[in-house]
Amino acid sequence: MEFSKYVFDKRFSPEKNLISVSGALVSLHCHHFNCGLLKAIEELKGIDGLTLFVKTTEEVYRHFFSDYLKQHPELTTPADKLQAASEMYYAFGFGKLNLSNLNEQGGTAKATSSYYVTAWLAKYGRRHTPVCYFTCGFIAGVLESVFTKPIGSYKVKETKCLITGSDFCEFEVKAI
Amino acid sequence: MAIDVKKIISVYSIGELPRDNKGIIGVFGIYAAYNYNEFYYRIVSKTLTQASKEEAEKVENQLYQAVLDCAYYTFHGARTSMLWREIVEPMVETPEDEVHALVAFTNVFGIGYLEVVELVPGEKLVTRVYNAYDPGRYLEEYGPQPHGRCYMFRACTASYMDLVYGPPFPNGMGTFKCKEVKCRSMGDKYCEFVATKNQDE
Repeated sequence: MEFSKYVFDKRFSPEKNLISVSGALVSLHCHHFNCGLLKAIEELKGIDGLTLFVKTTEEVYRHFFSDYLKQHPELTTPADKLQAASEMYYAFGFGKLNLSNLNEQGGTAKATSSYYVTAWLAKYGRRHTPVCYFTCGFIAGVLESVFTKPIGSYKVKETKCLITGSDFCEFEVKAI
Repeated sequence: MAIDVKKIISVYSIGELPRDNKGIIGVFGIYAAYNYNEFYYRIVSKTLTQASKEEAEKVENQLYQAVLDCAYYTFHGARTSMLWREIVEPMVETPEDEVHALVAFTNVFGIGYLEVVELVPGEKLVTRVYNAYDPGRYLEEYGPQPHGRCYMFRACTASYMDLVYGPPFPNGMGTFKCKEVKCRSMGDKYCEFVATKNQDE
């Protein structure tokens, strides 16, 4: 993957143990924690934990990807912005996600590798339901940033997942 | 030889992390990814505030266990790596040195700067962090909290003791337990963690 065009300015402060990417604080976490967190939320009783997980991811990426776009006015077309989102996803370590078939109305996104699939397999083994809830929220959040729409403007459903035996993960995206 | 904290942080914080051909970061026997600190804060705080008291307690225990797994395996992976043998091991003369080295190593992940306040060999470890992300956000959004919110540092502090003074890997996890005795989310100036032997073990 070519990174020359899109800049994710990562800085580390050794005196404070803080990492920022394009000015926003990030941290590095392993599959034991990331999958443990998802599992705890998936098993919640009394509230819909997975919806909360997806919506929160959407809110966070709606916010931070909008900030990123403000810092990069050279990204003018939706195609460029979506490619930047794909490369941010890769740079963070979440895998390879193709957003090029999406537009303001939605469409289909495809991932040929997925952190959550690899991580879940390593931690808990195979499962028979999709696991890429993070990616669903990510896609909704970045689309809302790209097309300047409010939270809740897109519904994203993972229709195929590597963890259930598909050759790739597929996400159906609809504007609401 | 004393542990050169600055050197450990410098060595482990430079360069890009290795990835497989799918772009997944794999290092020290774990799969890692970056995410916004705000992501973790929001997911966990919303869960804890929306769930019933019983469910919230269960989630906090699950998160502590998830980080304990994370820390125990990640730190063990690090201390058995070639880089550790080359750079860190020559500084380590005692088990206490190893605790200090592991705490230093923790200070490259972007979660706030952790320091050792007190170490009683084989018995007790007290650590402190002034700039953890979550407690400030809890205070800002929900006001003073009834108990500490730093499950991440709590589990890390227990894991150092588990690895250094517990039974040999992989049988030492849970040998120590850890309490957060001060937290900025409760109005304290810093967050402080005390790990002692787990009497249930």
